[in-house]
Amino acid sequence: MLSIHVNWLGKSKLTVIVGCGRLGSTLADQLSDEGKNVILIDQNEAAFRKLSPAYAGLTLVGDATDAATLKQAEIERADHLVIVTNNDNTNIMIAQLARECFQTPHVICRLYDPQRECVYREFGIQTICPTALSSLAIERLLNNPASLNQTGQEGGN
Amino acid sequence: MKKRILIVGGFHKAQTLARSFLEKGYDVTAINKNPLHCRVLAQMSDLTVLTGDGSKPFVLEDAQAENADIAIALTPRDDDNLVICQLCKKQFHVRKTVSLVANPEKIKFFYRMGIDSVVCALSAITSIVEQQTFLDEFTTLLPLGDGELRISELRLPATSPVIGKTLSEIQLSRDVIIATILRQDQPLVPHGDTKLLAQDVLILIAAAKQEAASVRVLQGK
Repeated sequence: MLSIHVNWLGKSKLTVIVGCGRLGSTLADQLSDEGKNVILIDQNEAAFRKLSPAYAGLTLVGDATDAATLKQAEIERADHLVIVTNNDNTNIMIAQLARECFQTPHVICRLYDPQRECVYREFGIQTICPTALSSLAIERLLNNPASLNQTGQEGGN
Repeated sequence: MKKRILIVGGFHKAQTLARSFLEKGYDVTAINKNPLHCRVLAQMSDLTVLTGDGSKPFVLEDAQAENADIAIALTPRDDDNLVICQLCKKQFHVRKTVSLVANPEKIKFFYRMGIDSVVCALSAITSIVEQQTFLDEFTTLLPLGDGELRISELRLPATSPVIGKTLSEIQLSRDVIIATILRQDQPLVPHGDTKLLAQDVLILIAAAKQEAASVRVLQGK
């Protein structure tokens, strides 16, 4: 069970991440390394094994489409909510729940299929689409083969 | 023109609903992800069946969602149903959307998100079971406004403490009114000086929260 002390969190910014897949865990590790407060939610406790042993944030097992779980994750205090489960519809629903019921100021949502834009446009949710990002990166490489080495080095670390 | 109904997801529910809509003369299209389910659904003559994920805009487009009058989302997942209904509403301008919801706590949220009608199987079933349990003494005839208000029927047993009293003498909550009294099957308009008799059937309009308390006052339990 999660327990948070106000002192521990203090007044510094809080980021809630939903979904501990490759992206969720990498992001959580990174933010935690930077000394930020992170709460990571996943339905499956085993998913948290992906986190590095140095991860200093909190984890919460639960269904984030449930308002009670979000509340438990201190969503009312969160400055950022990053939703990266592997199901687009789940991500949309959590984003809407957070914006509508908890007025979360900043919501970022990963969507594989950007076609449903009309559904979430009006909610002020930022979205990122891996396909669009990858195709942009690939296109850049195609147009500028000379940058291959630099990008290769960047990607190799 | 025939009314067009679009049913997304659900297998047995879709089957039963489609059959009933077709009998009533509606034009029905069903979308289902599972090809096996689609094959069974397609055995129904006059039903248009489409295999695909109904939460994707191009599938809804194939199903000509823009021509539908009503869209019904019956998948087992709340998030899918929400997105299906929102897509139908916002992108395809379907006039009315109906969604099934598994978690009763999400009913309000779904309404807030613009779904026209939200049906929760769990709360529907539990309230029917509850009603059937007390059928002999007390029946809800009609839930109104999402069940917040109910019209119900109550027969006064001979043991009731209110028998022989006038309506002005009994202490009922302000959120409950006795709309009419059926005395030997004759309707009676109640007034403050109307005396209650055993075997009177009271038709109550009550806020759901106050209902149980008023039943206790009237039946003396």
